[in-house]
Amino acid sequence: MTTTTGTVPSPRALARQRRRASVARFWRQYRAERAGLYGLAVLTLCALLALFAPLFVGSDVSSVTDAPGRPMQSPSAEFPLGTDQFGRDLLGLVVWGSRVSLLVGLLAAVLSVAIGTLIGVTAGHFKGWYATVMMRITDWFLVMPTLVLAIALATVMSRSLTTTVVAIGVTTWPTTARLVRAQTLAVETRPYIERAQALGGGHWHIMSRHVLPNVMPLVLAQTTLIISSAILAEATLAFLGLGDPTVVSWGGLLQDAREAGAVSAGDWWYLVPPGIAIAVVALAFTLCGRAVESVLNPRLGVSR
Amino acid sequence: MGTNDQKRSLPHGLRLVALAGAAALTLTAGLATPLDPASRQARAADVGKKVLTVAVAQSVDSLSPFLAVRLLSTSIHRLMYEYLTNYDPKDNHAIPGLATKWEPSTDKLTWTYTIRDNSTWSDGEQATAEDAAWTFNKMMTDTGAATANGSYVGNFRKVTAPSPTKLVIELKKPQATMAALDVPIVPKHVWEKVSDFSEFNNDKTFPVVGNGPFVLSGYKADSYVRLKANKSFWRGSPKFDELVFRYYKDQDAAVSALRKGEVSFVAGSPSLTPAQAESLKGADDIQVNDAPGRRFYALATNPGARAKNGEKFGDGHPSLLDQRVRNALFRAVDREAIIDKVFRGHAVEGEGYIPPRFQDYFWKPSADRKLAYDPAAAARLLDQAGYKKNGDGKRVGKDGKPITYRVLCHATDPNDKAVGKYLQEWWGDLGIGVQLNCLDNVTDPWLAGKYDLAFDGWSVNPDPDFVLSIHTCGALPATPKDTGATDNFICDKKYDELYARQLTEYDPAKRADIVKQMESRLYDLGYMNVMAYPNAVEAFRTDQIKSITTMPAKAGNIYGQDGYWSWWSAVPADSGGSSDNASSTGVVVGIVAGVVILGGLGAFAAMRRRATAEERE
Amino acid sequence: MTADATPALVEDKQRTAAGPRVRKGSAYPRYLAGKLAGAAVSLLAVLVTSFFLFRLIPGDPVKTMTGGRQVSAEQLAAYREELGLGLPLWRQFTDYCGKALTGDFGTSYQFRAPVVDKITEALPNTLLLTGTAFVLYTALGIFLGTRSAWRHGRLGDRFHTGLALTLYSIPSFWLGLLLITVLSVGIGPLPGMFPTGGMESGDEEGFAHVLDVAHHLVLPVVTLVAVEYGQTLLVTRSALLDEMGSDYLTTARAKGLRDDLVRRRHAVPNALLPTVTLIFINLGRTVAGVILVETVFSWPGLGGLFYQALSVPDLPLVQGLFFEFATAVILMNTLADLVYPLLDPRVAR
Repeated sequence: MTTTTGTVPSPRALARQRRRASVARFWRQYRAERAGLYGLAVLTLCALLALFAPLFVGSDVSSVTDAPGRPMQSPSAEFPLGTDQFGRDLLGLVVWGSRVSLLVGLLAAVLSVAIGTLIGVTAGHFKGWYATVMMRITDWFLVMPTLVLAIALATVMSRSLTTTVVAIGVTTWPTTARLVRAQTLAVETRPYIERAQALGGGHWHIMSRHVLPNVMPLVLAQTTLIISSAILAEATLAFLGLGDPTVVSWGGLLQDAREAGAVSAGDWWYLVPPGIAIAVVALAFTLCGRAVESVLNPRLGVSR
Repeated sequence: MGTNDQKRSLPHGLRLVALAGAAALTLTAGLATPLDPASRQARAADVGKKVLTVAVAQSVDSLSPFLAVRLLSTSIHRLMYEYLTNYDPKDNHAIPGLATKWEPSTDKLTWTYTIRDNSTWSDGEQATAEDAAWTFNKMMTDTGAATANGSYVGNFRKVTAPSPTKLVIELKKPQATMAALDVPIVPKHVWEKVSDFSEFNNDKTFPVVGNGPFVLSGYKADSYVRLKANKSFWRGSPKFDELVFRYYKDQDAAVSALRKGEVSFVAGSPSLTPAQAESLKGADDIQVNDAPGRRFYALATNPGARAKNGEKFGDGHPSLLDQRVRNALFRAVDREAIIDKVFRGHAVEGEGYIPPRFQDYFWKPSADRKLAYDPAAAARLLDQAGYKKNGDGKRVGKDGKPITYRVLCHATDPNDKAVGKYLQEWWGDLGIGVQLNCLDNVTDPWLAGKYDLAFDGWSVNPDPDFVLSIHTCGALPATPKDTGATDNFICDKKYDELYARQLTEYDPAKRADIVKQMESRLYDLGYMNVMAYPNAVEAFRTDQIKSITTMPAKAGNIYGQDGYWSWWSAVPADSGGSSDNASSTGVVVGIVAGVVILGGLGAFAAMRRRATAEERE
Repeated sequence: MTADATPALVEDKQRTAAGPRVRKGSAYPRYLAGKLAGAAVSLLAVLVTSFFLFRLIPGDPVKTMTGGRQVSAEQLAAYREELGLGLPLWRQFTDYCGKALTGDFGTSYQFRAPVVDKITEALPNTLLLTGTAFVLYTALGIFLGTRSAWRHGRLGDRFHTGLALTLYSIPSFWLGLLLITVLSVGIGPLPGMFPTGGMESGDEEGFAHVLDVAHHLVLPVVTLVAVEYGQTLLVTRSALLDEMGSDYLTTARAKGLRDDLVRRRHAVPNALLPTVTLIFINLGRTVAGVILVETVFSWPGLGGLFYQALSVPDLPLVQGLFFEFATAVILMNTLADLVYPLLDPRVAR
């Protein structure tokens, strides 16, 4: 930061400056995407809510022995969304559940994108048998029905948040790998890569210094989109009873509601809010992802 | 230009498909709505066919009585085939079934059954002692045929049929349960053609020959099981003409179906949830039957898994071998809160091993021996046993590590998960950690002894022999590699002596007394801590079923009885005007919906055309 | 499958960009052979996975099979023999592969019937549900996608795009539960119009039976269509928008052809081609992804069977179903690969 004021900026500072400029340009273009802005606003709100949840609801909101209400009360001034079958405040639980749902979505997406990027970049960079094998594996994961595989994985492992994260992460990475590989191949044809190689840059140098920064925007867009589906996948697994029953998440709340018989009893206040929360957050991430994508690659025209 | 034509036709075609699809959907909705079940019921009433529809969720494992072990399948077999004996719906005592009389010899080793002469198979043949003898002999000689009920014949030496009305069973050693042989007797002339009993599922040709109150007339996996009334059933024909078990894998869907009258009866698996019961209580024409259940719901403790050969296996926490610890844990379980919060009153607080519904065998601890809820006493007991709290407030085991118990729970049972949450907090206050290990299939860690505590529960039969036998040393697996009948590896000499005594005691009152002593012993051991006896909460439509026999007759349940009483006795209600009203509303709504959708489509198409016109100018 | 929706969308763009390229008509047989070989390799990989993945479920199949029942030592030994558990793993594997290739996946533990029978029993039900939904959501997606692209930026477009995005952010099982509550159970003055679950009432014959099944079909199909059509819509729309920016359209317009005609004759058919790939992939995925909808609506199909098999775990049935699901996807992917060059007008033929 300080070197930028110098008369002869170092190459590193130049790079930083260029990057800052491109971030600013990105933000300018992103601002023009109205849907993306809405998505971002919703996400910011949700993130703040989840981060500061301990301040409004407190961690004892999920305690069953200290539950404040009677089981399955309908909405009232005391409990704006009613209570669950233990007499816990549902509004508090939905707010509290956002922590787990967002965390799982985020971690699973990061895991998925990390695997995908690693395989994509290496498969693009190292040609030959390594790339062939990696792309064969990728293709093979692509034909696996995602949900079926995730359910199978969640059944094989014990029920915990880690299991959910792994089951989602391991099943959703192949699309990223293929996208990143294509981008890597494109980047590596550029002349400066050849120059770097001639100057003695090793594989690691080229991949981390030249390829990675160039695929990062794509990875960013991809992450945003995958978080959206990871949140849905988390809800799905929890709903099928494959989540950790002792933590509160939105999918888990829906599963609890179904098990308690809220659907036929007409206790809509138990059923509707977690579903809406899932849909809103998933939609917000999708909108952001599409906005990022259309900024980076206007030709796709997804949200023109 | 050929390609051009092809190109042009594509979107047009697709649009047509879209419209056709939407129209088909509308048509389906519109046409099918008048066919709603209420009107079907009414129409069925016109032709005089009375159908009793029962919502079920459990898949049929097999329709062969030699293979079926699930509750639904065995209940269906009760309806299809007559057993030697049956249980009285009033008080569960054994009454005649296919056999009219049964008596032991003086040495207690030979039982003679008199077979009735007025029971015929649905193909017209007479049901005889020969059929019964053949059924038992098949199970004794063919391992495939012994899959489901092999344990019943394990003690048989020889089964013969000296005459069509006389069946003789010789035993290896005396057995008190000879009036409780829950084995479907099948027609020999049909079943002797079966070549491989381990693969024959009895579900290909209908109707299936039987002699029970109903005859199986149709089955489609996970869709329905259909039975027709057996008009010539010896005890009298059922009042309904047809009995259909229809599948609703989702319990809420089943309850909704009951509300609408799609089905006449819902039992839930194993029971309706409190919320469902609450909401159905207020509904018209629906009666909720909240009956004392036949199940106990317990917390089993791993006593250190072992095999008959003395080999130990598994990894149960060593602290649980101390009776004080087991008792302390149970004293920190607030059974009243479980009844009140988890079951919301639809259960009775647990005491002895056998539920109070079986009054002859029910036992409960005296007030001074009762392990009542008292967290302070529990903490003292743990202190005495040497499991003191460390600086972080956690109790530490003899190995110096904080104690965390792994509690095995059934992922499919909401009660397990709910009670598990309470345990976490109650025992957490004691300074003991709980790791809830919820699995779809608990069999595996269970049989391997890899758990500390587990949620456990059994349905108790009128004859308690089975639920008692699973805690004997004899039920342990032969070696760690084998599977035993044991429930949770309990092996206690005193208990085993009592068990052996009750099995050879043919006097019911004396036997009951011994059974109570066994329950008392089990209670003190603290390996099986019964928390509750969940009620059987079920519901039926009073506008379809006028009356139905519960078992026991006073405050009993309907689904999963020991016997065919409920469906056999159910009397159809005269279809009142209410269902007609419902059906006409259905028609009106269907038509309105159809019109709205068609109208919408029309408007849509019109708008589209206008828009295109605009663009054209 | 909602959970799959977004990756599939992205993947499709990538597929479109990379797209199968066939230069000359004469190259088609070679291309065909390559794709078929690829499919065969994938099938083999699926076979291997289905064998090893589920071996990871801890435990002894015989204990699972007989759990809770008293079984004699001879019976246990017989089961072990029957399942070939005494054999070394590689022998079990080769036996498994040999049998699987002839369509024999063994006998289900819980139903004591050949796995193939259980699958063929449930397959038609699943195909009925997914097939109906598939036709409807594809048609609806393409239809609305085309319209949206034509009037892009206008209110109608924004509405449809927004609605599609929203619907595919909704968990399908939740939508199903809501539909049951509102349309099946009925709320307030609105009576329930549709059955709450299942595929048939079990007491109808002939035409009444057909209507009965159709009646049961409505809500599950509506649910599937609602969560699935959005993807087709968005892809069609963006492909068409891409196409509309192309030079040849400008040329066509310059020649004096009317906009409507230009679009219909040139833009739409070209833009639809990439969508074809998506359509096929979707069909394969829908067969596998129908688990949730089948669970919610008690539909007696493969999804419910799979879930039930996993919870036992009924190893042979799980393996058979897993293989079946993956095969559906491979089959559809391959079909897409094969059909694409035949339809692509830019390939000289």
